[in-house]
Amino acid sequence: MSLGAIDELRAGFEQPFWALGRDVASDGRTVVVSWPSVPVELVRAAGLAPIFARGRNAPTPTAHGVLEPDLFPNRLRQLVDAGLTGRLAGVAAVVLPRSSDPDYKCFLYLRELARLGTAAELPPVLLFDLLHADSPDARAYNADRARSLYADLASLAGQPRGDDELRGAVASANRARTAARRVQALRAGAPRLSGVDALPSLGAFLQLEPERYAALADAAADSLAHRAPLEAPRVLVAGEPVDGAALHAAIEAEGAVVVAELSPFGACGTETDIDSSGDPFAALAAHYERVIDARLPVGALMQRLDAALVSADAVVISLPPDDASFGWDYPRYRELLARHAVPHAVVHGDPAGSLTPSDRGRIQSLLDDARARREAARVY
Amino acid sequence: MSTKQFESTLAAAAFQKQWFGELRRRVFDERRPYALIQADVPFELFDLTDIPAVSNQWWSSIVAAKRQAPAFLSAMAADGIPGPLCRYCSLGLATTRYPKAGDAPWGGLPTPRLLCARLTCDCIHRVFSLWADAFGAELYEIEHPAASELPPKWWELTRHRWRELIEPHRLDFVAGSLERLIEKLESIGERRLDRAALRERLERVNRQEEIFDAARKLIASAPVTPVRMTEQIANVMATQWVRGTDWAIAHAQHFHDELRARRLGRRRVCENEKARLMWVGAGLWHDTDFYSAFEKSHGAVFVWSMYLAFGPDAYIRYGLDDPLAALASRTATFNEFLHNPPWAAEWTVAQALEHRIDAALVLHPKSMKPSAMGRFFIERALERAGIPVLRVEADVVDALAWDPAAARKAVAAFLEERVLE
Ligand code: SF4
Ligand code: SF4
Repeated sequence: MSLGAIDELRAGFEQPFWALGRDVASDGRTVVVSWPSVPVELVRAAGLAPIFARGRNAPTPTAHGVLEPDLFPNRLRQLVDAGLTGRLAGVAAVVLPRSSDPDYKCFLYLRELARLGTAAELPPVLLFDLLHADSPDARAYNADRARSLYADLASLAGQPRGDDELRGAVASANRARTAARRVQALRAGAPRLSGVDALPSLGAFLQLEPERYAALADAAADSLAHRAPLEAPRVLVAGEPVDGAALHAAIEAEGAVVVAELSPFGACGTETDIDSSGDPFAALAAHYERVIDARLPVGALMQRLDAALVSADAVVISLPPDDASFGWDYPRYRELLARHAVPHAVVHGDPAGSLTPSDRGRIQSLLDDARARREAARVY
Repeated sequence: MSTKQFESTLAAAAFQKQWFGELRRRVFDERRPYALIQADVPFELFDLTDIPAVSNQWWSSIVAAKRQAPAFLSAMAADGIPGPLCRYCSLGLATTRYPKAGDAPWGGLPTPRLLCARLTCDCIHRVFSLWADAFGAELYEIEHPAASELPPKWWELTRHRWRELIEPHRLDFVAGSLERLIEKLESIGERRLDRAALRERLERVNRQEEIFDAARKLIASAPVTPVRMTEQIANVMATQWVRGTDWAIAHAQHFHDELRARRLGRRRVCENEKARLMWVGAGLWHDTDFYSAFEKSHGAVFVWSMYLAFGPDAYIRYGLDDPLAALASRTATFNEFLHNPPWAAEWTVAQALEHRIDAALVLHPKSMKPSAMGRFFIERALERAGIPVLRVEADVVDALAWDPAAARKAVAAFLEERVLE
């Protein structure tokens, strides 16, 4: 059952974005989102289904003409390519959170391309702007943005929706989160599943209907619990958050197991529940404001790193050419990792592509180092 | 370095050096606080609470002009901070974090009481928090809510209809942020902010920008260019950092009057002006001679950069009954004006037409990712308006990433093939 469940979870994670444009009728109930800083509960409560733009190892010739090189991550190039080639023509809306400069600029670009007539077939393109300041003004601003997005989506879906639908969506998502945490727990200590299986199993939370997700994730967790632990150096993936398992696959091909990633598509997406007993918009905004993205304050990011290090023997820091933010944290990473005596390597290739030879070399040396340390720890 | 044609340019340079010397004296001898701030933070609030403010971008440009940037930036690279990250806003950090790597101008930055930045680009929070750590000083951040509606022809709205430029929820939030900033500054300085004085200061900023507007019109309508772009920038920069003060207004007037006299006297930058160029982007601070390099050889003169034109279009606000809201409307829209589609492209084309521009050089800043965005829109809009574009890849402060000879050769070829045919 576990393999079947994981395969279904993987399909629920990997396929939806690439299937857009094939069936215009079903696309009409979907909202394409560029980063998980947009509350999936809002989208679902509005009567729509979220699908996330994702990077992959495929060229984007149409986007190439409008996106300056090395500034936009793979997932956004795929999104713009899909938008310019008409694959998003049937979807209800595209929502870009202000989770990074590239996401925000992508919002402005798409709007402008539509205005200029270059992207005639685009659906409405919406922005979702969450601020990170720890102040009552910022919290009120964020709750207001969530309320406004809900109203926009509900009106696009053509059905008035209220707070009760939203609370219901939060409760279902929390049930799905509980199941996701069971999967993540199996990666801690002696890991029982690989990163290549874990990331899609966790990321599917964002796209699958919550009850279906919870059933699949529970089934996967039930059978994985009896598996023998995987014996290999345990790696944490940090830096610019990954949106897929390609880097995990490359690391694991070198004989490691990826046990966590600082990414809302993986271990960090479902850590905590949302309490919607008060104002659900304020609760959603407060929750999603903590999602890892390029604007999350560095102190909060370092706390996440610190917590995730518990079960890692080594850290791979991904700083691809489009990164404008996470590279600044490198001195802090270095210091924290030195304090925990955890070795690290920095890789610079596109995490959605294949490893460059020099990145592979760095990962191999890192894993040699991690193995030697594990060995030494066993001896003494 | 090309000789200065304007007396006001020399006066501006002397003023800045003296101003910085005075700041150091105040900080070291009198133990008075000063603030280190991003260029888009409203200086007026600092000045009115008697906390002098140094602009990060100004400091970067001075370090780069003194050719010290490569040494500090190399130290930063050696510390593991990736090369493609933004260098303009972080060069100052490098002078503090790696003090021994180079020779910081004029004795270097003293420790500020406060660092203050608006969180426009993703990197600002990171750069400024590292910088605050390096100084052991407090960081005050101002959140930047993002624009989702950008009405056309922004420069026609800024002066009188500025409330229409920005969505009400953003205007309220930014005005509230400025209120918090004022409380902070009042707690540091010894002076409370007088709202009437703020209004008066904004009126004086208007006055200064009106003078620059008149200067811009003199340049745009002159049959041949009377002032080098680099001298426009030097005069504008020196005044902008102390805008609305007596010195700034007097200096703006000095520059304007000198310009008018030169125009009346038919004095020109270049005897043989054949092509009028515009520079789109921040200045190449490490190679300002680049901007006069094509005068003799091709009769090509840089007529326009954003620095002079931006002041009148972006800063002037009439209707100052609520001065803080007016200031908030200016503060909140800076990035959009300069970088974002459709605003940046629209404005650049309008300026090109007003200045009878023959060709544009568009900077693709190698390591300023957020401000490198939107460039394709600007280029296309210029080409659509019939203005040939040359893309220039460079870093504005890092001379090591720049090949002056190759760049000059590329511009010469562009002029010969597309502009002067
Ligand atoms: S993009 Fe611009 S504002 Fe942002 S860090 Fe770079 S130079 Fe500074
Ligand atoms: S990105 Fe633009 S606005 Fe920001 S500091 Fe750089 S040049 Fe100025």
